[in-house]
Amino acid sequence: MARDKIYLEEEFPSPIVQFWLEFRKLSIVNVAFVSFLVLVFIAIFSPILAPYSPTDSHIDSLLMPPSWNNEGSVSFLLGTDQLGRDILSRLLHGTSLTFGLSFVVVVISLVVGVVIGSFSALTKGVKSSVLNHLLDVVLSIPSLLLAIIIVAILGPGIENTIWAIVMVLIPQFVHVTRNAIKEEYKKDYVLASKLDGANNFRILTYSIFPNILEKIVTQATFAQSAAIIDIAALGFLGLGAPIPMPEWGAMLSDGIDLFYIAPWTIYFPGMAIFIAVLITNLVGEGIRHSIKEVKEN
Amino acid sequence: MKKNRRLIHFQLSYTWAIATCLLLIGCSTDEDISLREKSIIYCSEGSPESFNPQTVTSGTTIDAIANQLYNRLITYNTEDNSIVPAIAKSWHVTRDGKKVTFYLRKDIPFHQTRYFTPTRGLNADDVLFSFNRILDKESKYHQVVAGNFPYFQNVNFGGLVNKIEKINDYTVRFSLNYPDASFLAHLASTYAVILSKEYADQLSLASNEKQIDQLPIGTGPYKYQEYKTGSLIRYYKHPDYWQETNDAQQVVFDITPNNSGRLAKLLAGECDLVAYPIAHQPIINNPNLTLESVTSLNVAYLGFNTAKPPFNNKMVRRAVAHAINKKAIIDAVYFGRAEAATSVLPQSSWAYDNSLTHHMYDPELAKQLLTQAGYPNGLTIDVWAMPVRRAYNPDALTMAKLIQSDLQQIGISVNIISYEWVTFLRRLSKGEHQSVLLGWSADHPDPDNFFSPLLSCASAETGSNRAFWCNQAFDDILSDALSTTNPNQRKAFYSQAMAIVKEEIPLFPIAHSKRYQGKANYISGKSLDAFGGIHLGNIQRNVEGGE
Amino acid sequence: MLIFTLRRLNLFIFTIFLLTVLSFSLAFLFPGDALVNISGQVSANQEVLAELAQSYGKDQSIFNQYVIYVGKVFSGDFGVSMISDLPLLDVISTLLPATVELSLVALLIAMVLGIPIGFIAAIRHRKNSDNIILSIAMIGYSVPVFWVGLMAIQLFSIELSMFPSAGQISPVYEIERQYGILLIDILLSDSNYKWQAFSDATSHLILPAAVIALAPATIFIRLARTAMLEVLETPYIRAAKAKGLSFAQVVYSHAIRNALIMIVRHIGLQFANLITIAMITEVIFSWPGIGRWLIESIYQRDYTAIQIGLLVLSSFIFIVHILSDFLYAALNPLARGKKYGS
Repeated sequence: MARDKIYLEEEFPSPIVQFWLEFRKLSIVNVAFVSFLVLVFIAIFSPILAPYSPTDSHIDSLLMPPSWNNEGSVSFLLGTDQLGRDILSRLLHGTSLTFGLSFVVVVISLVVGVVIGSFSALTKGVKSSVLNHLLDVVLSIPSLLLAIIIVAILGPGIENTIWAIVMVLIPQFVHVTRNAIKEEYKKDYVLASKLDGANNFRILTYSIFPNILEKIVTQATFAQSAAIIDIAALGFLGLGAPIPMPEWGAMLSDGIDLFYIAPWTIYFPGMAIFIAVLITNLVGEGIRHSIKEVKEN
Repeated sequence: MKKNRRLIHFQLSYTWAIATCLLLIGCSTDEDISLREKSIIYCSEGSPESFNPQTVTSGTTIDAIANQLYNRLITYNTEDNSIVPAIAKSWHVTRDGKKVTFYLRKDIPFHQTRYFTPTRGLNADDVLFSFNRILDKESKYHQVVAGNFPYFQNVNFGGLVNKIEKINDYTVRFSLNYPDASFLAHLASTYAVILSKEYADQLSLASNEKQIDQLPIGTGPYKYQEYKTGSLIRYYKHPDYWQETNDAQQVVFDITPNNSGRLAKLLAGECDLVAYPIAHQPIINNPNLTLESVTSLNVAYLGFNTAKPPFNNKMVRRAVAHAINKKAIIDAVYFGRAEAATSVLPQSSWAYDNSLTHHMYDPELAKQLLTQAGYPNGLTIDVWAMPVRRAYNPDALTMAKLIQSDLQQIGISVNIISYEWVTFLRRLSKGEHQSVLLGWSADHPDPDNFFSPLLSCASAETGSNRAFWCNQAFDDILSDALSTTNPNQRKAFYSQAMAIVKEEIPLFPIAHSKRYQGKANYISGKSLDAFGGIHLGNIQRNVEGGE
Repeated sequence: MLIFTLRRLNLFIFTIFLLTVLSFSLAFLFPGDALVNISGQVSANQEVLAELAQSYGKDQSIFNQYVIYVGKVFSGDFGVSMISDLPLLDVISTLLPATVELSLVALLIAMVLGIPIGFIAAIRHRKNSDNIILSIAMIGYSVPVFWVGLMAIQLFSIELSMFPSAGQISPVYEIERQYGILLIDILLSDSNYKWQAFSDATSHLILPAAVIALAPATIFIRLARTAMLEVLETPYIRAAKAKGLSFAQVVYSHAIRNALIMIVRHIGLQFANLITIAMITEVIFSWPGIGRWLIESIYQRDYTAIQIGLLVLSSFIFIVHILSDFLYAALNPLARGKKYGS
């Protein structure tokens, strides 16, 4: 039952609602956000949505062009590859690998990165200086190169790819968290709660985290699009998902040899990666923009 | 402020540099005819292992070196596969078949390069040197490759030839221990090239024997200029070549292992000829390009390393043989344009036995066999997939993937392994593999060429028998088949041999296929052969065709 | 400036130290025998191995081993490739210049295109042209480079025959190596076909460089836009406006210079990003550079090559990073006080 308003009070929306209202204003971002939700939905329900298994070979329909082509067939909407596997099904299943795993990767590295970052923010002196230099070094090596190296150590495979990308993203979160906390620490309200006798942990969780959340979220949006590209790139280079897995980057590299007979084996996985990254970037842009607007008001 | 100005100035000067670069593309045709038009570029699929055909068996290497750098005593007529004169203008075989005399041409000069200047043309000494290198275990040049002459070892050349004599400067006689139906075929094969003794003597003086296989001297239409490992081979024209040839100033082998990259180079006009094009349709559809093909005697197979588990167990081999869907492989890998193989010998060979049947595709039977073999819960195996395209196997990786999914059905999980080609071959001959997708192209039309090099005990020692399978009864049949010249008798022997192979399955034959090559229309002449490597000396580049 | 230089030097030494430690420890992290991994001698017999153990100080403490390793690396003894048996110093010294050439040209293209477009977007802030530029930048930033590369080959090499699809130069030209940078070597060579070779090499360079430049160019657009917007807000620009200068005058004589300085600060970081993109592009365009070689070495498990390639490539990136820091500090005295990288 809706509660009647007894007092004529001007309603003041919470920061989250403010953020949401701001976010809703951006029309393109809305479209992107809906598509983002669709991708999440596909990633979760791909086994139900996909018409075929991603690894089933249909020996009688090898290299079928997409259905709108004269030689295509409706039963294989986006055509088949050299082994007669349905490309649509592979793309759908691939969503949970390339896109879904990027989510997992970001969550893990966010948690670990924020924890390490918080601890390191509280250290001072030589330790802090060494850590700073260390971060400088790690951050100056391009993320994909670092991921490639870690995969080289761990050996190719999808799990190792995930660990490699997690390890690459952690320093970025550490860096952001650490700088943000240091900045907040100088502010008066922190001093106030210190004077109230709060310990470091309490200050962190109650005073600082709510205020640096936006920076971490911003970093997470960047990290997600980087993670998608990195997973796909490692797959493309043959260092990521092993052969039968329908990871988008691996599908693309599978298709290279067929490019001149069956270009759709390249077009569609490439489009999938492109769209996923574009949507993620747009949503990220929207989030960052809205956070900024909320702050400025 | 001053510094800022400098920065902007810096950028401006770079902009100028780029603008100049772009302009140059338009105005650089000062030389009358471009170097590109005086060269032939052949895009090949892999790197050569050596520059001497005596020491190799890989088709990639033979393509790159054999007919380009060297000549043989005799050779094959490309039309009807009969044996015709080359360095030997004629020859004579005694009635008992045990003495063969060759009469050499007198007008054959060796290459002159920056590392060797010949003082004389080819004569009997060079022929003696070239073959004694293989036969004489005491020779420095035999030892320098550790006696590794795989083709000649496979056919037991050392056991066959008793001695080679120089009758005079231009006459050589081979004495055989027993008559052999395939002796002339061996000498006409691409491996039996003639090297320069004068060059070898010079190297011996410098104790640098190794160089003979690295910086080659031969009599062929082209001479060695440079080799950039894994990237290109450059040959210059041999100006005094004794036969008709083209007027290309240089021939470049652009080594492009990447299949689609190689085709792209042909489509974009960066190559004149391309080996093993990955897709045929774009070449057929392009009015400026031609797709050539030649029926070649070859076989693609899955070889089992019978020297180590799990494939030392015949039951496992049989299980795998019944689990692989050959038809699917032919559709997916060869696009339906190949024959399913029942044995190593292709159907087009005269010795083929029509009564041979396939191992039926039957996953249920395969599962039972696997259980009998002691693997009721399945096992994990390695399949090595060759990294290059060959006529017999255009895409071993896809083939491996198909086999992977087939074997999954009977509970065998497959790791697909591949290395760069030279490494691949090296590790393969050491027997590091469990099973391997590979194949064989015949060096000459004699049916023995499918058996001795692939499955004999001698070849198990040299490593070209990738199954490391040695069966005495089988070997006896092969030598019986060689000791007679009666085709019907030989055919009967080979039928027996094929039956043993079918029963023992040291390797699982998959398909026989044509060899394809793409070329630009301004290239005329026939460079593809049913046997041996390509002949770039036989083609012409017609400049008016342009690029 | 002196303190700044010392700080950077300190950072540089620390970084090189870390990178060598990483490279050294990789030998132990990779599968197989550490001695073989570090030297690349796969087919060595017992005698040679014993000799190697001696020369790498295997009987000494791990710290001494590290010191010996660093000594070897700095004296140019990189070991040999496990696959090809070639000395890695030779291999790298032929490959690195090709990558440098390609990535510098790409950086140049990205800057020459990206920065002016970013300025235009900033000047037209929140107008249609700004939005269009931003949308294009967003698309360019999101598109995967390996896909663009393939599409570019299909369109420009095969359909339009404008540019070659692979390699650094047509193999018909023989160019003697002098500095390793091909375009310079061609100009210094005395070949009859010098200008043909030069135009051929240039046309080989354009397509991969443009593909690499795509993503960094969009980043430069955004950087330039942000920098310009910030500069336009500053008091001195307002002062200039108040003096009565026209908007164009303000932009040309004050804003652009100051915005450029802010962009210079990011070149180092962007270069690192660009090198990653270049590695993948090298694979697609068969460019004979260090990136493609490194990726191939990973396929073939050539651990010695991976260790050294990594060390060389990261050091190279870091040196460029530091150089761009110096450039920034030289241009902007305010930056010299900062302790750490950004």
